[in-house]
Amino acid sequence: METALLRRPAAVLARRAFRDARVRTFAFVYLFALYAYIQPAGYRHTYPTITERLSFARSFGPNKALRLFYGEPHDLLTVSGYTAWRVGGILAIFAAIFGLLAAVRALRTEEDTGRMELVLAGVVGRRTTYLTAITAIAAGVLLLWLGELTGFLIGGLPAGGAAYLALATVSVAPVFVGVGALSSQLAPTRRLALELSGTVLALTFLLRVIADTAAGAGWLRWMTPLGWAEQLRPFAGPQPLVLLLPAAASVLLLALSARIALRRDIGTGTLPARDSAAPRLGLLSSPTAQALRSERTSLLVWASGVGVFALILGVVSKSVSSAGIPPGVQRELAKLGSGSIATPTGYLAFVFLFFILTVSLFACAQLGVARHEEAEGRLETLLALPVGRTRWLGGRLALAAASACAISLTAGVLTWIGATSVGIHIALARMLEAGANCLPVALLFLGIAALAYAIVPRVSAGIAYGLLTVAFLWQLVAALLGVPQWLVNLTPFAHVGLVPTQPFRTGAAALMLAAAAGCALAAIWIFRRRDLTGQ
Amino acid sequence: MSMTVSRPPALMVQPASGPRGEAIRAQGLTKRYGATLALDRLDLVIAPGEVYGFLGPNGAGKTTTIRLLLGLHRPTAGRAELFGLDAWRDPVPAHRRVAYVAGEPFLWPSMTSAETFEFLARVHGGTDVSYRGVLVNRFQLDTSKKIRALSKGNRQKVQLIAALATRADLLLLDEPTSGLDPLMEVAFRECIGEAKRRGQTVFLSSHILSEVEALCDRVGILRAGRLVDEGTLTELRHLAAQTVEVTFAGPAPTLPLLEGVRVQSAGPNALRLEVTGSIGPLIAALSEHPVATLTSREPSLEEIFLHHYDDSDGRVADA
Repeated sequence: METALLRRPAAVLARRAFRDARVRTFAFVYLFALYAYIQPAGYRHTYPTITERLSFARSFGPNKALRLFYGEPHDLLTVSGYTAWRVGGILAIFAAIFGLLAAVRALRTEEDTGRMELVLAGVVGRRTTYLTAITAIAAGVLLLWLGELTGFLIGGLPAGGAAYLALATVSVAPVFVGVGALSSQLAPTRRLALELSGTVLALTFLLRVIADTAAGAGWLRWMTPLGWAEQLRPFAGPQPLVLLLPAAASVLLLALSARIALRRDIGTGTLPARDSAAPRLGLLSSPTAQALRSERTSLLVWASGVGVFALILGVVSKSVSSAGIPPGVQRELAKLGSGSIATPTGYLAFVFLFFILTVSLFACAQLGVARHEEAEGRLETLLALPVGRTRWLGGRLALAAASACAISLTAGVLTWIGATSVGIHIALARMLEAGANCLPVALLFLGIAALAYAIVPRVSAGIAYGLLTVAFLWQLVAALLGVPQWLVNLTPFAHVGLVPTQPFRTGAAALMLAAAAGCALAAIWIFRRRDLTGQ
Repeated sequence: MSMTVSRPPALMVQPASGPRGEAIRAQGLTKRYGATLALDRLDLVIAPGEVYGFLGPNGAGKTTTIRLLLGLHRPTAGRAELFGLDAWRDPVPAHRRVAYVAGEPFLWPSMTSAETFEFLARVHGGTDVSYRGVLVNRFQLDTSKKIRALSKGNRQKVQLIAALATRADLLLLDEPTSGLDPLMEVAFRECIGEAKRRGQTVFLSSHILSEVEALCDRVGILRAGRLVDEGTLTELRHLAAQTVEVTFAGPAPTLPLLEGVRVQSAGPNALRLEVTGSIGPLIAALSEHPVATLTSREPSLEEIFLHHYDDSDGRVADA
């Protein structure tokens, strides 16, 4: 009888963990490589001479609104400096998201589904499962770095500096792997772990935004991992010692999570979860009501998060420089898709682009929840009752749309409150209009996500988020590449007016709403004709 | 205390049913998943008030059948009807008269059992609240606990109680007692007995042969997507062998080879014989020997079941 152990169990587990995440890993690597290539290539194409670059630097250097997305620029006259500015901020956030998702998937989800139980009943101990999971994620992060480096090299950046820049952006990832690992230990469910880590990411982003846009708040950069990535200053006086900060933070977080992981019961989190309760019988009269009941807390978290951001950004808008900007520069501004951002109102209008993205993310997340209901089998229980598929999916979509409205209006109202509280004169109606402006794109993505859910449920989350990411990044990048306008117009974000400084584009909005309705109806029609699928 | 609409107990008459009077009707029901044929032209007719047992090895297509009956999956060919209504095209009115218990309890982890009962009852359109209370006691369930804090068996109980309490005309049960301890198994049989007396139709898919034997009027055996046998237990028994155990005063003799009789040794003085067909020739052969005791028993459902899975050379066939 042959019972040869062909490989050590740890290697098998690490390989398995890496394979499970391969789609996500390669999607991110591809995104990083592409974005890293497009920035230097685009810059060389649009600003080929030094004079053009000088005027670009003069108009955009002090611009606060762009710092929101990209962080503080240090050198806008060279391809490398510009790339470091444009890529560093955005890809650092994506690196953080990658770290979060990877950690929660490898640690919390494996436990929730019972797979970790199965592994731990065998010959491996908890330390091994933890370390193999982290190793697999580390391999993913390494691939991210390589992907980004490749993009830079093809874009023509010098090798040493490109390697350092890629390292600077990717350095955020291990810290957020630590955050994800820790929240996986604390939270009893995958959903809660994601919400916790997401909140931490949002807070780090907020701190970086304040550090970059508010005068005199530069010291805040030392308080946030996204700020550390900036302080590394690739291509502008590199300070490699700063790398000690993310390194120390990740080691600390990972060690702490490991300590908790080795001690607690499998299948639970350290945060207490009540096991029994007196019955609360509200919101149980229909599947949609019950959905609202389940989503209540999540909705509140999204709304408060958006509300806090809106308030702070409203307050920060005061520090936007209102010095006159020559009209020739307006053209340059338009190229970046930013409209007129010279005034606080303009700044807020630009900022709402970010809220449009957030509400669209929320819409995709709602379909993710619906898909989870189906994957977990609970939809089977519901559909065996006298509940039609149209009623169920229609109810969920209506709930998502109504929640998206609520969140958008919260953004509008709280931005107005923040701005008015520091003395900026802006009408509430204008800010409500800005809030309402989030809805056409968000509802369009709700429709698209619904369609993906109806056609290919198992990969619908990836498709929805992927399309949203591409659409958003495309509008940041496309104008710069000098591609024909019709190509730029492929993304819905190109058709959104920056309210309140630009007018609300009713035509485009109506079209998007019609498309959203069409997609939703098609989704329901297709959903009625397919089998229910499990995991 | 509960806000559920309380439905009055059903009267003991034949419940209304489809135009031809059946509760369940499947005609040429076929389901293909990619290249796999899960169900092959299944024909099934179940009359109202009947308790029907559905047996088959793992992977035979029992759960697929139930999914097609509930309109969760779409038939590749053929049709399924519940009370005369097409299960795929028009499931909602049919489901008002159906209660389903899934093979695994799919419930909402953060709701307590009491809240789950309330939710399922309201969406169903009403349930017998007092009977539900009786069932909660009978199954000994703590209704204040959240679903995620319950063991799998207890979650199964929640499903079962919710379904039984509706007093639905048709109960579709997919391995309802898997995970229940023997006491709860007894409670379950009591409930099905009550349902039967009230004229409810029960479709029971189960692996527990003793349960099916005790409860069901008719049994269908599914194998590799086809219904290989169907009938009352009496009808099925004719096909399987009677077991006759004989002990002799002296050493067991060698009997002549008889048609339909299979001989096994059961000790130095005893023989176990399996008889298909008439027992007359065997009695005649035995009368020539000093028989001490003779017992004969009908085949159990297990033997009938295994009979279908024997190859001609006695190996158990793959499903």
